[in-house]
Amino acid sequence: MKRELKFVVNGDSYDIWVEPNTLLVQVLRDELGLKGTKRSCDSGSCCACTVILNGKVVKSCSMLALQANGKEVLTIEGLANGAELHPIQQAFIDNWAFQCGFCTSGQIMAAKALLDENANPTREEIQMAMDGHLCRCTGYNMITEAIQDAAKRLQGQKLQEAAQ
Amino acid sequence: MKDIIFDFEYFVPKTIEEALKLLSQYDEGECKVIAGGQSLIILMKQRLLMPKYLIDIKGISDLDYIKLDDKQGLKIGALATHRSIEKSPIIQNGFSVLAEMEQNISSVETRNWGTIGGNVSHGDPGGDPVPVLIALDGKLKMTSLSGERTVDAEDFTLDYFETALRHDELLAEIQIPSIPPSTGVKFTKYSQIVGDYATASVAVLITLDKKEICDNVRIALGSVAVAPMRAKKAEEILKGKKISDDLLAEAGRIASEEASPTTDAEVSEEYKRDLVKVLVKRVGSEALARAKKA
Amino acid sequence: MSEYSVIGKPTTNVDGTAKVTGEAVYTFDMTLPNMLYGKLLRSPHPHARIISIDTSEAEKLPGVKAVITGKDTPGGKYGLWRRFRELSDQEVLATTKVRFIGDAVAAVAAISEKIAEEALDLINVEYEPLPAVFEPMEAIKDDAPLVHDDFANNINNTRHIEWGDVDEGFKKSDYVREDRYTYSSQHPAPMEVHSSVASYDKGSGRLTVWSSTQSPYFLQLGLTDALKMREGDIRVIKPHVGGGFGAKNSTMPDSVNAAVLSMKTGRPVKIVFNREEEFTATEHRTAMHLALKIGLKKDGTIMAKEAKIITDGGAYTGLGATTLYLAGTYLTFPYNIPSYRYDGVRTYTNKMWASSVRSFGATPAVYASETQMDRAAHDMGIDPIEIRRKNAMTTGYEAPGQYRLGSCGLLPCIDRVEKRIKEKWTDLSKDEGIGFTAFAYMCGGIFNWIDTPYAFSGAMVKINVDGTVDLFTQASDIGQGTNTVSVMICAEELGIGIEDIRLHPADTATTLTDLGAWASRETLMNGNAVKAAAGEAKKVLIEVARMKLGENIVYDLEVKDKRIYLALRPERGFSYYDIVKDAIKRNDGEPIIGIGHYTPHRKGMVSPAFAFGSMGVRVKVDRETGQVEVKDIITAHDCGQTINPLGARGQVEGSIQLGLGWGLCEDLPTDNGMILNPSFVDYKLIRSRDMPQIELHDVPTYDPEGPYGAKESAEGTVAPTSPAVANAIYNVIGVEFNSNVLRPEKVLKAIRKKEEKEEEAMNG
Repeated sequence: MKRELKFVVNGDSYDIWVEPNTLLVQVLRDELGLKGTKRSCDSGSCCACTVILNGKVVKSCSMLALQANGKEVLTIEGLANGAELHPIQQAFIDNWAFQCGFCTSGQIMAAKALLDENANPTREEIQMAMDGHLCRCTGYNMITEAIQDAAKRLQGQKLQEAAQ
Repeated sequence: MKDIIFDFEYFVPKTIEEALKLLSQYDEGECKVIAGGQSLIILMKQRLLMPKYLIDIKGISDLDYIKLDDKQGLKIGALATHRSIEKSPIIQNGFSVLAEMEQNISSVETRNWGTIGGNVSHGDPGGDPVPVLIALDGKLKMTSLSGERTVDAEDFTLDYFETALRHDELLAEIQIPSIPPSTGVKFTKYSQIVGDYATASVAVLITLDKKEICDNVRIALGSVAVAPMRAKKAEEILKGKKISDDLLAEAGRIASEEASPTTDAEVSEEYKRDLVKVLVKRVGSEALARAKKA
Repeated sequence: MSEYSVIGKPTTNVDGTAKVTGEAVYTFDMTLPNMLYGKLLRSPHPHARIISIDTSEAEKLPGVKAVITGKDTPGGKYGLWRRFRELSDQEVLATTKVRFIGDAVAAVAAISEKIAEEALDLINVEYEPLPAVFEPMEAIKDDAPLVHDDFANNINNTRHIEWGDVDEGFKKSDYVREDRYTYSSQHPAPMEVHSSVASYDKGSGRLTVWSSTQSPYFLQLGLTDALKMREGDIRVIKPHVGGGFGAKNSTMPDSVNAAVLSMKTGRPVKIVFNREEEFTATEHRTAMHLALKIGLKKDGTIMAKEAKIITDGGAYTGLGATTLYLAGTYLTFPYNIPSYRYDGVRTYTNKMWASSVRSFGATPAVYASETQMDRAAHDMGIDPIEIRRKNAMTTGYEAPGQYRLGSCGLLPCIDRVEKRIKEKWTDLSKDEGIGFTAFAYMCGGIFNWIDTPYAFSGAMVKINVDGTVDLFTQASDIGQGTNTVSVMICAEELGIGIEDIRLHPADTATTLTDLGAWASRETLMNGNAVKAAAGEAKKVLIEVARMKLGENIVYDLEVKDKRIYLALRPERGFSYYDIVKDAIKRNDGEPIIGIGHYTPHRKGMVSPAFAFGSMGVRVKVDRETGQVEVKDIITAHDCGQTINPLGARGQVEGSIQLGLGWGLCEDLPTDNGMILNPSFVDYKLIRSRDMPQIELHDVPTYDPEGPYGAKESAEGTVAPTSPAVANAIYNVIGVEFNSNVLRPEKVLKAIRKKEEKEEEAMNG
């Protein structure tokens, strides 16, 4: 029997009815059409499905949608500011931090959550934060560099905003 | 991709009381409790577990806390997330071995949503928290409609994915006594891929007296038996002695014989015993160093 | 080269914005109106006769729109080795028998995935299990169970390569050694699972298939054969692809069954594998046994090499026959070998079929070859780097009847890595060691087993009146950056910017044939086609400009920076935009169209060009646990002219990740044909914390066969990685490994065995 799910996704409020056995990733992708969040493994081992829930990264394939009731979700689609890319997204592009791109949404969301918590992470701290994310294309180092670059850009942005 | 394709009745109790009432209503095997679901959901996708009734306790905030009492020690609510334990100043300052252990569990994503209670209740012989709780002489408080009871951490996991919890009981709290002075605790898990599930893990607590003789020692092993276990015979040869490298090596050797690992698709039983030998020696040495500093 | 505007400059991905915003659409994401979801029922037996299939209960389930078995399919057999029709051994659904655990026997289309999944449980198949064979050495025996009844035995394919007089060569050698190796099976494990959407148009009888594929054209041909339709009535479109690494070359059950279900229901049908299916029922690395014999003179010069390989092909051909050939080829790289003899046998077994995986047979071959080189060097007291330098290939080298090197930067690559090793790795602890390997890799194959009458790569350029360009290529970008390379080459050729070109990729109806992304062919072959197409368009611009200038034909015109001008008098010229407008006017309003193609001709039996390189790895061995930590890697590559340094670096790092995994932890153990670890929990892969930093050196050369002299990059770096690690481990603990997957337990056992032997010798 369907139950009510009231939550906010990328700033928009939704009030929908879902079966309890629905996973959060199914609601995001199939109900709301937000296909940017991917699925890859069926065993909670790859983090391709990572989204930000009330400010923290979670695997959307490994939680029931109804557990997001009353909460706020941020997906990759919610990151850019209209047509303007988020500095993390731009840093990923400029540092060739993706190839096939299938793991990229999850990686970027995790990078955002990391930099929100730790504005200047060391290489090791980045690797620790990103360790759940499986990637078959890149070899990881360029992703780490992109995140270091993103950290600099965000700090620069903060300084600019402070100056204004 | 695999979804959960079977239906179940879903309950979201707001209090512990409500949850316990629901639990007692349904038969064992028909009903499951879900908190973070980091293990359970995968089993449900694979149809290895297909409960008819699912009781979601994730939202019961009364069970989500980390408190330090001067006399009684550390109390962690069952629904405290791995991440909150990892980041807790109380734990980082006074029980840092817990934070270190949590840091290497799976991914940040798993730790943000998964709870220590859910992890421990799963009864995984290869889980990381229980060996550390054993080393710290922790206790687990369980609650049901008929009251509360507490068991020692080393008696909580009975067999593969089987715990002391009765089907109408919830794990409520993890209790860890204050760590005495001159005590060092260390936990290390070994896996070929850094941060992966443990092939073998060891937690050691050593308390020294003023002459640096070993006053108390607890050695816990994970992944090398049907449940996390204490290596009591290994402890015996260290207790009351001045711990040397040779003694630690001997303790490792004895511990490896106390363990009863099994061969799986990737790793043999003999190798797991080898790991126990090496880890007890190394982890014991680090615990000793910490005890000397403390 | 500073003379280029675009080529050689770090360029961001033309698909970048789409991929970082989640807007890039993969087949995995697609939905169409009125679409159904399909699932496949798979055999639980490795080998069994199908006695009966009862689908009646499944058909009755509300929401199920079609249930098909083999008899409901057009009955065409298909495969990639179409020139040899007997090797088209795959069916849409198994009809008479199943040949591996996972062989598809029925398919369902329903209104939801959930219902389709439930319907599978309701299909009743009666099997008669047959004796099965799992090991190639068993499969070649006369009394082995026959996997394909229309074959006389289980030999799927054989290969022979020979030049020079090998027996004479061994006679003349001062040192001869033989080694036997086993290289295990592994899975490419792309992040996007196999996904296909098929839509059959009842009115026209035409089929459109979107698929996560490495080759739209190969898929088109496979569907043509399987469905017995006209090739031109089948349109294959490749959306963004979440990785392939060899798993997505062949026509797979997801696409053919989606097609048949769509034809039956008259609705689009989508089939997506789950990760367990991806591991158990999609193409993976060909496991093999290798026997290698090498003869050298005492100064280290190679005189002769002889090799025998038997591969575990699994139940069907796939591209495994090519892997058999290339393994034998890669055993000859990258050294001068005066005489060589290779015999390869590919066997059928009752397992999921093994095909091509990134490096296409080079990984096992190079593991054997490069560890053997080190062993020979150690035995003969020659430095392992020196022995490679001594035998290194050079430009112009020819392996008689096989291949000729138009360019070869191997020696400078060896020098560069050696220099850096000496500078950087000076403080090794007693538990650390260095391993070195040298390698080469092809730039696409000469082969036409696909039996195409078309050029191997074709491209078309359309210049619009406002100077914007539409570029049409069928080349498959599966993450390796081919789209960006195509646009860069077109931009360079026409003297315009990346931002002026819109790419229309990978649609068999609107683009000219390209054979797809495998054996690292896109940069050279598709690159040449794009360059040729843009070149044809450029000719038009030059002609118009020349006419307007009225200059003598001997004076060259340059097309650069959006101008067409006299090379010697740059101030005399015109804006690109003006010339374009003029050209269209002069051609009765037709846009400027350039068409180009590339097929290698008279380039031997393997590839028109080869990239080269060398690699050094530094490892640390924990002698008590056997854990091998790869601490640092230095590699140099000669890929001719690197088109996009950003992309090339990304590719190299990714290929090294795979190489490390294949050497240290990735494995597909089976028990009676069942894969035991079909999930990312149990199938171990290298992750962020295990990945060392990589120092990459570009050693440019110029290959006349490649666009701007470019060759492949980074399929070559996969293979030398695991032997480099093995060689390094030897330098720490003195143990040789004749098989890969150097797990800690294996390393520890080897250390113990050696210690025991040494003790015995001492007490002896």
